[in-house]
Amino acid sequence: MIKIGIPRALLYYQYYPMWQTFFHELGAEVVVSPPTTETVLSSGSSRVVAETCLPVKLFLGHVLSLIEKCDYIFIPAIRSVQSKVYNCSKFLGLPDMTKAVIPESPPILDIDIDINKGKRKLYQAIYQLGRHFTWNPSKVRRASIAAWQAHLNYRQVMSDSGLTPPQAIEEISGTPKPEPKTHSSNPTSPQATVAIIGHPYLLYDEHISYRLIHRLEQAHNRVLTPEMLTTQELESAIARLVGRAYWTYEEEVVGAGEHYLKSGADGIIGIMAFGCGPDSLMMDMVRRQAARLRTTPFMSLTLDEHTAEAGVVTRLEAFLDMIYRKKRKQVEICV
Amino acid sequence: MRLGLTHMGSIDVAVRAMARELGVDLVIPPPTTQRTLSLGVKYSPETVCLPFKLQLGNMIEALELGADTLVMPGGPGPCRFGYYHKVHELILRELGYKFHMVTQDHGILYIVKCVTNGASTRKVITAFRFGIAKLNTLEEVERMVHKMRAVEWDKGEATRIYRESIKAIDNAADYGALRQAKQEYLHKLMSLPTITSPAPLKIGVTGEFFIVIDPFANMDIEIELGKLWVEVRRPTSAGEWVKLNPFIHALKLQEKDKAHRAAMPYLSRHVGGDGLQSVGEKVLHARDWDGIVHLEPFGCVPEIMARNIMLSTKEGCPVLNIIYDEHTGKAGVISRLEAFIDMLHRKKKRQVEICV
Repeated sequence: MIKIGIPRALLYYQYYPMWQTFFHELGAEVVVSPPTTETVLSSGSSRVVAETCLPVKLFLGHVLSLIEKCDYIFIPAIRSVQSKVYNCSKFLGLPDMTKAVIPESPPILDIDIDINKGKRKLYQAIYQLGRHFTWNPSKVRRASIAAWQAHLNYRQVMSDSGLTPPQAIEEISGTPKPEPKTHSSNPTSPQATVAIIGHPYLLYDEHISYRLIHRLEQAHNRVLTPEMLTTQELESAIARLVGRAYWTYEEEVVGAGEHYLKSGADGIIGIMAFGCGPDSLMMDMVRRQAARLRTTPFMSLTLDEHTAEAGVVTRLEAFLDMIYRKKRKQVEICV
Repeated sequence: MRLGLTHMGSIDVAVRAMARELGVDLVIPPPTTQRTLSLGVKYSPETVCLPFKLQLGNMIEALELGADTLVMPGGPGPCRFGYYHKVHELILRELGYKFHMVTQDHGILYIVKCVTNGASTRKVITAFRFGIAKLNTLEEVERMVHKMRAVEWDKGEATRIYRESIKAIDNAADYGALRQAKQEYLHKLMSLPTITSPAPLKIGVTGEFFIVIDPFANMDIEIELGKLWVEVRRPTSAGEWVKLNPFIHALKLQEKDKAHRAAMPYLSRHVGGDGLQSVGEKVLHARDWDGIVHLEPFGCVPEIMARNIMLSTKEGCPVLNIIYDEHTGKAGVISRLEAFIDMLHRKKKRQVEICV
């Protein structure tokens, strides 16, 4: 059986169930790289020039950890999934860059996804990917329909039950944790509601986000994430703040930021990687909006491989203290 | 309407010619200075790239002089540049300036109509052609300057003549005067006293468009290279951007297309900005250039991708990478250039010795 390696980084959090179903239907086995460790991160960073952003370094680390564990590595080049809205350069150049900096990697399966080129090109691209496994077009067709279903189901699970992507992936693949804990099922009433905005590949990688969500929950806060919002909510929030979306995966930042600024959160934490092109503008948009509204406190955390855990924790504690104080004061005024 | 301009190399020469032809009231901010940069840096998001900051500074200076309309090209694409107009507009409005921002969102025809004061199509075409002719002339002179700087006896003469030529080309009122200015300055450059041996090193300057084109942004890197007896080859130019020759376009004979084809084995997709071209130039010119100086603003994602790929091409060519932001010091750039050139000389000498 052919083994396909999927690095646990970048778009893994958005599309894993879809990819997994597709390859499974075509009779391949999917191998996912183990969760991030310091070794993974540093092996990835040693391959590229220093200015490369943290998520890409992490991605390459995961590719390195898949070497000799699989026959192919799947790295899609997703150019555009929405008309006239493009993706950041790092996603477009990812397959070529991996080839260049990790010459010893297994052969790379790449696929160009560009909605702007029309449906025909998209189907051709999918068929070409499927041809590595079968010559039968209808089998590829069946696999891709099943994959799309799996993707819709995955999104549904996340927005319905408020699960984070890693939790949803676990639930779908049928290996629930001994204690499946969702944010809403916190026994005691939460001290505050904190929204976290940012890309899933930063938020849910426990190593680089220093288990931020876990820490917030431990301090008895309710955590809101971008995945808990429906597409309509995100789209209308984007339209309010920036008009038309410019990058593909920015609704997680601008849409969620604008939505939570206006409703439902006592404080917002924005997480971005140092040197991230899109976020440098988008996070700034949210920051400006927060400054204009002056209702919800906003903190932006910029992460890179030199970020220290103690620094993150200190800033988090200070931010939470501020929110609690603000809430207490409001209560006193009301009384 | 008073149209404000942002600087980029000597593009203002072409724009001024067009504006004169069309009777547009043009507000040209003073040449980019440290003040421009400081203004830009003060109001920009922290990690955007240097071109954003410089252009914001230019815009503020233009608005201070009374401009009420700004034009900023942009459109969907992977590079951040396409989105800059929105953030620029937001920042300037927050600063309290009142102006009209014309962007690609309005459609290309609207831009043309708006910036040309509603002139007739024929007049617009004539004005554009003249503007582009000026750019092309400037470029021709510039190419000669690049050659002469490397071999001239009195360092700085070619640059002085080049500055004069910009003024003369700017003042030329019609095609005849333009041709005359070109011939005069080309002749002046060719008759400079030169040193013929040893043959100068040929170094290509590639990288992000704005930084490569704009001498303030790249800290006069071409002049500095000239002082080190180096002949600069610069495939990117402002003129190439607007060349209206459908025949050459269709045949894909432009330098840019050649570079893209050359890059294909290593980078098979556009990554936005000039990433693909940077890779392509290295592959294309590995044999005829002695080295490459690759320029990029700090945080430029397409160029970072390009650099990662450039490192491992089969076609080897020494590359010096210089990253610019508001903290870059000129002395640092010069020291690095000197070291790079020394290394290239040593390499060349060794090759000659091996051949002997």
